[in-house]
Amino acid sequence: MRRRDLLKLALVAAAAPLRAAAEALPDASRLVVGQIQHGGRWDPRPGAFRRFGWEVARRTSIETGADAVPVRLGAPGLHRYPMLYLAGDGALPPFADGELAALRRHLQYGGFLLVDAADGSDGSGFDASVRRELARLLPAAPLTRVPREHVLYKSFYLLDRQGGRVLAKPWLEAQTLENRLAVLYSQNDLAGAWARGPLGDWEYPCTPGGEAQREIAFRLAVNISMYALCGDYKDDAVHLPFILRRRS
Amino acid sequence: MSETWRLALSSPWPRWALALLAVAAVGAVLLAARGLAGEPWRRRGPLLALRALACVLALFLVAEPSAQLLQTARVKGRFAVLVDRSRSMNFPSGEGGAPRTDVAAEAVRAAQAALAPLGDRVAPELWRFDREATPADAAALGTGGRAEGGSTDLLGALRTVAGAGNRRLAGALVVSDGTDHASLAGGLSVAARDELRALGVPVSTVAVAETAPKDLAIERIAADDFAFVRSTAKVEVTLRARGLGTRTVELVLRREGTIVAAAQVRLSPGQERYVVPLSFAPERTGTFVFTASVPVQPGEAIAENNTRSFVLRVIRDRVRVLLVAGRPSWDERFLRGILKQDPNVDLVSFYILRTNTDDPGRQEELSLIPFPVAEIFGEQLRTFDAVLFVNFAYQPYRSLDIERHLPGLREWVRKGGGFAMLGGEQSFGDGRYGETPLADILPVEVTDGSGLAVEPTRARLTAEGRRHPITALATGEAANEAAWAGLPAVSPVNRTRPLPAGSGAQVLLEGTVDGHPSPLVAVREVGEGRALAVATDASWAWGFVAAESSGTARAYQRFWTSALRWLVRDPDLAPVKVEPDRPSVEPGEPVGAAVTVRRPDWSPAAAAPVVVELADDEGKTVARAEAAAGPDGVAHLSFAPPRPGAYQLRASAWNRCSGAACPPSVAPEHATGAVAVRPGPEDADAAPRPELLRAIAEATGGKFTTGGRSPVLPFVEPEAVEIGGRKDRPLWDRGWLLAVLAGALAGEWALRRRWGRW
Repeated sequence: MRRRDLLKLALVAAAAPLRAAAEALPDASRLVVGQIQHGGRWDPRPGAFRRFGWEVARRTSIETGADAVPVRLGAPGLHRYPMLYLAGDGALPPFADGELAALRRHLQYGGFLLVDAADGSDGSGFDASVRRELARLLPAAPLTRVPREHVLYKSFYLLDRQGGRVLAKPWLEAQTLENRLAVLYSQNDLAGAWARGPLGDWEYPCTPGGEAQREIAFRLAVNISMYALCGDYKDDAVHLPFILRRRS
Repeated sequence: MSETWRLALSSPWPRWALALLAVAAVGAVLLAARGLAGEPWRRRGPLLALRALACVLALFLVAEPSAQLLQTARVKGRFAVLVDRSRSMNFPSGEGGAPRTDVAAEAVRAAQAALAPLGDRVAPELWRFDREATPADAAALGTGGRAEGGSTDLLGALRTVAGAGNRRLAGALVVSDGTDHASLAGGLSVAARDELRALGVPVSTVAVAETAPKDLAIERIAADDFAFVRSTAKVEVTLRARGLGTRTVELVLRREGTIVAAAQVRLSPGQERYVVPLSFAPERTGTFVFTASVPVQPGEAIAENNTRSFVLRVIRDRVRVLLVAGRPSWDERFLRGILKQDPNVDLVSFYILRTNTDDPGRQEELSLIPFPVAEIFGEQLRTFDAVLFVNFAYQPYRSLDIERHLPGLREWVRKGGGFAMLGGEQSFGDGRYGETPLADILPVEVTDGSGLAVEPTRARLTAEGRRHPITALATGEAANEAAWAGLPAVSPVNRTRPLPAGSGAQVLLEGTVDGHPSPLVAVREVGEGRALAVATDASWAWGFVAAESSGTARAYQRFWTSALRWLVRDPDLAPVKVEPDRPSVEPGEPVGAAVTVRRPDWSPAAAAPVVVELADDEGKTVARAEAAAGPDGVAHLSFAPPRPGAYQLRASAWNRCSGAACPPSVAPEHATGAVAVRPGPEDADAAPRPELLRAIAEATGGKFTTGGRSPVLPFVEPEAVEIGGRKDRPLWDRGWLLAVLAGALAGEWALRRRWGRW
């Protein structure tokens, strides 16, 4: 056995108790995503978040939940999940005012919402209806493109491309509250790229980029998770020289 | 009293009319002379004489002259003897000589002896002066004694004396060493000379000292009112050396006994002043007394001015916090949010984003940086005010060798650092801290491998928690209890145990773990530092989760803001705070202090008894004052002017009591501050200025003498003034004058007729 392998084995052994302790953690100690239930097809990619959690936990030190937890905007308990996920395939029925108020309060107190268009629509279907609802949600914070220099693209992986089942838009959009991204919107069906079938095979092919595009989707999942949990940590001055060197 | 005659005119005619008559009389004589121009002198002479006599007599009668008899008296002017009573008069008059006050007393006695025979011409007065002049007692000034004035204003004193009383000043004698700290500080200027001359009297002077004694003094310290902790602070010390030849002296700057800076100063005969820069980096916040001193040299006349103190307030520009997180989590996320929002916090964060078992891919595609453990926990550690371990385990990262730095971290806390450990599966016993040096400073007892309790539990205030600023969410005990009871339960909780009494630890919040009370939040005083334990990684629920039902995350923000302020010993978070009204006061001024007292629930402690002691630099209490806090919880106290120097303000306040009804068993809270009484210019420079006294005497026509010689005392002689009634005796009211006038006119008429001159 080589010395490096021996060292790696020792490190794995040292970290093993931590991993074991982590497995018994309650939801408050993990990244557990609350998936918003609505009147449309709210869960078009079932099981995608199992894969999301598995990949994030495999690649990073983040402890993740087993799967996303369905939540209703009008029901108590929304704030137990600081990260929410809103997806749909086809038009999204309007939210009630009370539901939007609850979601708005969630975001204003520090919550984070990932919006994912499973139908890859642009100007119709889910895209048209969710833009309408997001405009109602935060009327003073319109959706704008996330600039390439944003910390989201360097929170763990250094990214310069988009991932997803499709590439409807080569960018992400966001609504900003107090200089942080409160709502992040992808039209590229991220969950479609993450989803595996019961037999372990990918449920959907990624077009046009294939598996490289799927890998970017997972890396984006990691970066989004890191951003939700660490904010602009990677914008701290201590990181800048390293990141600039790697980017060059 | 005496009588004086004076000639006066009693005519009712106005003076101009009399003048016209006089002109007319002269014209009449001239006309007569012209008309008689051809006549021989034997005729012309008598005629002109008779005409002139008639004109003079006519004018005399019209003017009605009279003799006035006046009663007059001579009013004596004041002769002021002004004696300098500023503190420089305590210095020796020369090397090995008597104090200047003694020489001045001798001069006063000599002046009194010289003025005694002049009692009918001047009225002697005695004045003492420093920055102001006041009438003085002859017995007091004639015997010397210690002078206490903080500065000298020679011209101001003369101005005051000249304007005092009803009688005019006839002369003055100034007995002084010539030091002046007002308008004559730079010498006798043209304006000052003019003002002295405007007094109109001779000012004589007696110099009680002529030569500067051998002396090494700290003349001045230039320092800012405040400095930033751990940043370089600079002060400039001005040394003055006289008569010490060539030698090297060591200048030392101490903070309450501890040397913080020093410098060697080479003295040379050709140089009198030396400006020495000193720099140091204060390590703690607070108000401190700094003292600069140079050793007393052999043969030195004045030892008191070899030391000089000042007060420096050491503050933070920003609280520098190191946050180390074992992994990204909501606990870290919301805590970071609070710290980043606070403009007073300079946050440096390091998160473990991947472990050695994670497989993210190629390193070049990641934004991760190596954790600079040696730099952060080595040389940089002293630059932080607080270090927060958020669910961070040192053990898995053997290659980083974090364990090697744990003893240094413990010592850093003992020397004043603030340390907090937050819970999670990598913290406390699960982080294997039970057998590390950090166990010596943690506020809870940790057993390695004790595990997490996942049963949700609500935080309950303990007796200590009810009166601790960290857990004060609302004003009033009941409101505070209710505020904590209304917060969501937390899960998981790290299993820990309270430390025994005497450890300096207090459990402020507890939860229920395995059916028993278990610490949730605990604090500990560790040497000069402080430690905090939060045995859960779900405190974020007190903010974000609570906001869902209550609409506010204020409890969470207040808890962490208070916790950080407590960790770094923010002075505003102490139950008692004492501040001088001014950090330094002039000599002779009273020292004022304000004591702010807060109750355990952080409300103003109205009517709380307060005692403040003023202690000198040797720790001896020199003054004591008592007061009760006002409705705003602030007590104001004042001390009689202490001697120059630096003093510690030691405040004790019974913040659980109101008024005098305070049981002896109730212990007071304590606080300290500092105040400096400036030594003033009088103490710094022992050099006399006889040349100034000589210039004053010369400018006013006075005489300059030195101590030990009999003074010569010129003065303005007294004026005679009319003090009684007057008598008029008419000179014109004589019948024979009229007869002579008629005879002169008749004689001229008769002669003219005889000589045919019509």
